[in-house]
Amino acid sequence: MQMNHELLKITDLEVFYTVDDDLVRAVNKVSLTLRDKETLGLVGETGAGKTTLALSILGIVPNPPGKIVAGSVEYQGVDLTKLSDKQLRRYRGKEIAMIFQDPMTSLNPVLTVGEQISEVIKLHNKISLFEASSRAKEMLELVGIQSSRYGDYPHEFSGGMKQRVIIAIALACNPQLLIADEPTTALDVTIQMQVLDLMNKLKTERGSAMLLITHDLGVVAEVCDSVAIMYAGEIVERGSLRDVFEGESHPYKLGLFNSLPDVDSDTERLESIAGLAPNPTKLPDGCKFHPRCKYCTEVCMAKNPELIERETGHFIKCWNIQPVKRGKTV
Amino acid sequence: MSLLLEVNRLKKYFSTASGMLHAVDDVSFKVERGKTLGVVGESGCGKSTLGRVVLHLLPATSGQIIFNGKDISNPSPASLHELRRNMQMVFQDPFSSLNPRQSVSEIIGEPLLIYKICKTKKEYQERVIDLMKTVGLDSRYENTYPHELDGGRRQRIGIGRALALNPEFIVCDEPVSALDVSIQAQILNLMQDLQDARGLTYIFITHNLSVVKHISDDIMVMYLGEMVEKTNTKELFSTQLHPYSKALLSAIPRAKLDLKRNHILLRGELSSPIEPPDACRFAPRCNYCEDICTSRRPSLEEVIPGHFVACHLVREINGL
Repeated sequence: MQMNHELLKITDLEVFYTVDDDLVRAVNKVSLTLRDKETLGLVGETGAGKTTLALSILGIVPNPPGKIVAGSVEYQGVDLTKLSDKQLRRYRGKEIAMIFQDPMTSLNPVLTVGEQISEVIKLHNKISLFEASSRAKEMLELVGIQSSRYGDYPHEFSGGMKQRVIIAIALACNPQLLIADEPTTALDVTIQMQVLDLMNKLKTERGSAMLLITHDLGVVAEVCDSVAIMYAGEIVERGSLRDVFEGESHPYKLGLFNSLPDVDSDTERLESIAGLAPNPTKLPDGCKFHPRCKYCTEVCMAKNPELIERETGHFIKCWNIQPVKRGKTV
Repeated sequence: MSLLLEVNRLKKYFSTASGMLHAVDDVSFKVERGKTLGVVGESGCGKSTLGRVVLHLLPATSGQIIFNGKDISNPSPASLHELRRNMQMVFQDPFSSLNPRQSVSEIIGEPLLIYKICKTKKEYQERVIDLMKTVGLDSRYENTYPHELDGGRRQRIGIGRALALNPEFIVCDEPVSALDVSIQAQILNLMQDLQDARGLTYIFITHNLSVVKHISDDIMVMYLGEMVEKTNTKELFSTQLHPYSKALLSAIPRAKLDLKRNHILLRGELSSPIEPPDACRFAPRCNYCEDICTSRRPSLEEVIPGHFVACHLVREINGL
């Protein structure tokens, strides 16, 4: 299989939530591609629509209130949005697996961790319970937990260990695509480093692709090949890791980088982004970022820019693209 | 510079069914007026408990706390009431630390009422609006309730409430960890501006090392209830001497390309803080661990002037 084979292709995806009488455009005309073995970092702040995008790949957006309104999610050429629940079940957990954010709440508290791992193995493979449980034990060892803990319950594990169990469940059926939604946000830095290291190792060994959702640009720099930045339901910039970290810039991305305290330099004052993320039911006209943008011009208020390809593979959605990423004023 | 706070051999133990939990064990430090002491460590290292014990939100098991030259280790209820005027706290979670049934102005103004600061209703209202302005809250939010506001604004309310009595000293317990980065930067800037304008002294508790570097003058690293290293911020980020601090700092994900990443991966996870053995508490995860580490508890030593480390092997490891 060649490296640049498109594994996942999302085209003009729109996911809306109806809350009371308000319409929330959580994901608004988003297009993305993920190639074999690629790790794509999806970055954005609370409410940007990252998790909704991830859920819609697997067809698990809570409905109601959520609904995929338009667009397609093609996985190896099959449009997942057109499939029935029964057909989708063949993909979920086997072809595409998900790691959820909060290790404390995404495990079933009344089943042992072993049962939870063998459950997914048994569901997707015609094997006996005994075989499934021995495979589950192998998975535990693989993520660095002694197989003797097969019969322990989630509450007997620490946060980092629980996240390892979840990784074991996700990888149990050798998925081609792994979706990880803030997998290390709830963990301490030294444990985060262990978990990221483990995910990286397993991903490389098994040759799967990964969509990593995070708000931490540091984590992106550590593990991703490419990056997409989301703001108010839209992708405002995407490209290779180097393009996004060092190339031309959307003002929002510039703001994100400048608001990060940097451990390697002594900045006296952080450059914050003014204002707040917009109310999702009342998105501004024109560019969604314009009320917070310091480079805002008249056209920004009137017309929403297109995502245009500035260099091969580097897309930016802005009328006033900024030349360099780190424009830190001293 | 004058000393504002001095803490000597402070201990806080909790009694649990399986024995004494050593949440804060024998911690000593000093904070000068107008400075910020950062306290870093991972979940369960006792940093929040430390902040609460210093403010007498929790009684200390033993140890001495000297504030403004006065020993406040065992305050009477009346003197504690007076002390609180001068020492306040900003809490971590702006969602649960505000009373959902009070409006913004009621929350910020409550300390003024408790301490009977204002003589007239008009004076009270002016003070509240003034405080709201100080922390960057528009006065039109006066009668809104916390649930109507986002995390950043809610944290501003928490800061406004802490400032109401014009304290000299504020313990900030993870004030920005629940916020998005762009909002986090706004709050950090606000806190620095307030410090400059009012000469505030902070103890800034956080697990985020980039944040603590940005805001602190001195940093104290805690592990399982103990202080393992303390020095000024610059020194700590250039030369960490304790193996735990080395690992902790190497684990910060840096948003940069082409960095040589020398992650020090630690084995295992935190051991239990209940009835810990007389040994280095970091020993089970330490890459340098030797026999002495598991048989005797290391004491805090001034290895380089101003740089305190608690490690038996500090000289061998660092070639000092």
